[in-house]
Amino acid sequence: MKRIVPWIIFIVFAGWAVSRMVPKKPNSGFDLAGFGKLPVLAGGRVMPMDTLARVSLLQMNHHGIEEAADNQKPAQPLLQTQWLLDVFMLPEHSDTARVFEVTNPDILDLFGWRKAGAYSFNDLQPFFSQIEEQASQATQTDADARNAFQRGIVRLRDVLRLYVQLRNTIEPQDSPDFGKEVQIFEQAIRPGLEAVRNRDAGKPYDDQAFQRILLFTHRYQSLTQAKFAYAIPNPKGKTENDRWSPVSEALLGAIGTGQIPYPVRVYGRMVSSYRNGDAASFNQALNEYRQYLRQNFSPELNRPSLEYFFNAAQPFYQSLVLYLVVFLLAVFSWLVWPKTLGRAALLLLGFSFVIHTVGLILRMYIQGRPPVTNLYSSAVFVGWATVLFCLVLERIYRNGIGSVCGAVIGFTTLLIAQNLVFDGDTMEMLRAVLDTNAWLATHVVGEVLGYSAVFLAGLIGIIYIFRGVFTTSFDENASKTMGRMIYGVVCFATLFSLVATVLGGIWADQSWGRFWGWDPKENGALLVVLWNAIILHARWGGFARERGLAVLAVFGNVVGSLSWFGVNMLGVGLHSYGFMDQAFGPLLAFVTGQLIIMGIGLLPLKYWRSIRVRMQRAPEAGGVPAHAAEAG
Amino acid sequence: MTARQQTRSLAEAGPEHKPPPKRSQTPFTAFSALFKPLASLRLTIVCLACAMFLVFVGTLDQVQIGVYEAQLRYFKSFFLYFHLPGSEFRIPYFPGGYTLGAVLLVNLIAAHLSRFKFTWKKLGILILHSGLILLLIGQLVTSIFEEESQIQLDKGQTKNYSESPYFDELAIIDQSKPDSDEVISVPAGRLIKGQTISLPVGGMQLQVDESYENAALINPNQLPSQSYPHLRLGPMAVAAAVPKTYKQNERNQPAAAFTLLKDGKPVGSWALSSGFPQPVQFKIGSDSFAIVFRPKRYYRPFSITLEEFKHDRYAGTDIAKNFSSKVRLVDPSAHENREALIYMNHPLWYSDLILYQAGFGNNDQTTILQVMKNPSRLLPYIACGMMAIGLVIQFGMHLISFVRRRVIA
Repeated sequence: MKRIVPWIIFIVFAGWAVSRMVPKKPNSGFDLAGFGKLPVLAGGRVMPMDTLARVSLLQMNHHGIEEAADNQKPAQPLLQTQWLLDVFMLPEHSDTARVFEVTNPDILDLFGWRKAGAYSFNDLQPFFSQIEEQASQATQTDADARNAFQRGIVRLRDVLRLYVQLRNTIEPQDSPDFGKEVQIFEQAIRPGLEAVRNRDAGKPYDDQAFQRILLFTHRYQSLTQAKFAYAIPNPKGKTENDRWSPVSEALLGAIGTGQIPYPVRVYGRMVSSYRNGDAASFNQALNEYRQYLRQNFSPELNRPSLEYFFNAAQPFYQSLVLYLVVFLLAVFSWLVWPKTLGRAALLLLGFSFVIHTVGLILRMYIQGRPPVTNLYSSAVFVGWATVLFCLVLERIYRNGIGSVCGAVIGFTTLLIAQNLVFDGDTMEMLRAVLDTNAWLATHVVGEVLGYSAVFLAGLIGIIYIFRGVFTTSFDENASKTMGRMIYGVVCFATLFSLVATVLGGIWADQSWGRFWGWDPKENGALLVVLWNAIILHARWGGFARERGLAVLAVFGNVVGSLSWFGVNMLGVGLHSYGFMDQAFGPLLAFVTGQLIIMGIGLLPLKYWRSIRVRMQRAPEAGGVPAHAAEAG
Repeated sequence: MTARQQTRSLAEAGPEHKPPPKRSQTPFTAFSALFKPLASLRLTIVCLACAMFLVFVGTLDQVQIGVYEAQLRYFKSFFLYFHLPGSEFRIPYFPGGYTLGAVLLVNLIAAHLSRFKFTWKKLGILILHSGLILLLIGQLVTSIFEEESQIQLDKGQTKNYSESPYFDELAIIDQSKPDSDEVISVPAGRLIKGQTISLPVGGMQLQVDESYENAALINPNQLPSQSYPHLRLGPMAVAAAVPKTYKQNERNQPAAAFTLLKDGKPVGSWALSSGFPQPVQFKIGSDSFAIVFRPKRYYRPFSITLEEFKHDRYAGTDIAKNFSSKVRLVDPSAHENREALIYMNHPLWYSDLILYQAGFGNNDQTTILQVMKNPSRLLPYIACGMMAIGLVIQFGMHLISFVRRRVIA
């Protein structure tokens, strides 16, 4: 029986997590999932419509999911894809969706509004000229010198522009029936061109045909301003740039060929049936289009469909929740049923790690890149690597510390990652100098592995200090074991950070012509190496033993966090990717917290509860326990 | 005591377990008394901690003074100085990069000489530390001999020189010889107001009447007042003294006024700014000369022509995907005349120089190539390779012995 209980707990939580990963069937006759998988080129990469919807909504508000138009939450939250479909094909409906978050009090005052919240495009329409004017004033200030109002108004203008661009992605936003419009246009091309030719030659011409083609040309030329997302694929294109075009260019190109590309016509059919509420013919057109894509563009279609499932499953979010469960189980295991709950925690940690791993692999496949390409993915990867280290530690020491550390760092880093999704797309294209998989896979991954080990050592140090100062269960054996754990992890941290920093120097030499340029990011990496070297030498020299090692390792958290995030806030140097300034407060709080913990760790031993208790128990032994009697 | 031994057993790399050598056994007692603190592990830790502080402060200060100036003040210096306000006095308050590097180097070498006896167990540490020694020496050599310059080329333009991104020079060009010009150059740093510099030809001297480290070129009526320090460059332009800039994408443009003397007699007076590097012609007797204040030039035995510059972007975005310059390299002395493509992460190696794609401008019509000359370029590669191998050996041996012990247990 006792053997089964951990498995039951495990199966309950694992099953719950898996059930959350299965894509939900939307409550609609329209094949929203099929539409969500359709490829589109945006931000320089081919993504599914579903990602485009998520990315766009994330820029408009922090929740990424819209509220219903009538301000009442619907029974089932509307899917992002449904919203995007409305924007593309039924804009008069999406214009009323409250998706634009306005929270800055000064901006609200500007509109005479009181309540911070989400507003619709129609709500904002009366203030467009004001927004435009204020934003263009604000952009005259340097981006990093803008105040909250200026940042907010620029952002509001940008997302409104984005929305208007999106509305014109598939059809001109004012088209009453795009399917019919495309047909009329196609019929107008031939006579129109003839009329133009005759007119140029001075011959008599059909004025009506001439006016009509002129009208269409003007109409589609003004549509060329919308070029955020390229929806129309061209199977004959050789380079990535030729393979995709905005709908306007496809339509204008048709004037030359006399034939409207198939994707435009099929989108026209989808628009018409969507507007008529005819789900059957919408789904049929959609299926025909997917068939067409499969025949002409199989690789382009593969990754977006996979990404659709990746988006729906949110593997990193599921592991985040599971890590929290593991943490709770592990903490409860200290109070009751240590064996049973501890085993369940370990099982679940392993399962969560599997989901984390699958997510990472999917991400790498979809993006075609090594795991770390930006700050977001570095956080995901730090979590992953730490949990891996922890599983190894738990395998060796079997004392539950690995489970707790894995859960805490896995949870924290994934939480950080969730907050680093600034502009929606976490798989954005890489700037020129980073466009090299070899260096990303070695230098960047190594650096991040170094951070993982540093934070793991730091957390074990924190547990050491807390157990020693606040609990009675902490004996000499535990102290030695944890000291050994910290030492081993610091060795790994040194190895990875030193090798990775060296590789970074070689990369810099290859691409910038200098091995070391004292750039902030380089210096951050150097600080980590130096600190690890100090810890190791302090231990080898006997200046620090278990307690000293724990305190030093906690300071590693400070060095690691400054190197990982702090240097990005300086805004200098060549490594100008992943800048962020909002994280300054949390970083400061974290650093302060670590320093306080170090202070606690340095408290004289008479205040350490574990030692007080032991001295009371064994006064005859006399003196201080060996592990505590040390210099620093 | 047994507990202590167990904990230490993992860390046998350290030298402290051995009983210290008795003084009576060593003949050079005074020498070893001096040697011991130099070789101590305590000094190592203090040095590393100081290095961390230096790197941290030096990085923070980059926000104010830029990467280049921070390098000079913190890392390529012997001391950090506190400048007493309102005077020329400066008080050193912290060791700079050179000092710390030197002390670490001495410490490391002393430690190996005094305490380390070779055993296979210490092979990893030995290789690691040798790599570190080589790295420190290599960085010192690099910082002394490294030469960094840039070539800025418009499409179709040819140049046989590169220019310093930081330094300027006053060049006096003797154009009197029929086949080649002779250039005498004075570094901008030597143009100090009130000084007279002797030039290495024909008894010429340069008398510096005024000198600004950085000056803005403006229209005379833009001056805040007539008393504002400025130099008149021409009827429509003055160089107004401005504070030195430390911004990443700005360059200091020194300006100076001076008188050229030949055999003690003035030949002419000029006010020039490196922000407007147009040569001014003049004559001494029948010989024609030109004088120009310009970014310091490094002439090369070959020439580079920009044939094409490309700035590729990801489809439908402004995100740069690649920058590439197609150049023609002509070196008559080496009988070389060929095309080369320089792009991100793919430099051009030629003679002892390496040319990198560094920037662009002028609506993608101009390329900026970084030219690096570094005779000790390979040292860090070797050093870092040694350090990495040493670390892997050291920790690998730890790991193996750790696993073995656990298997036995």
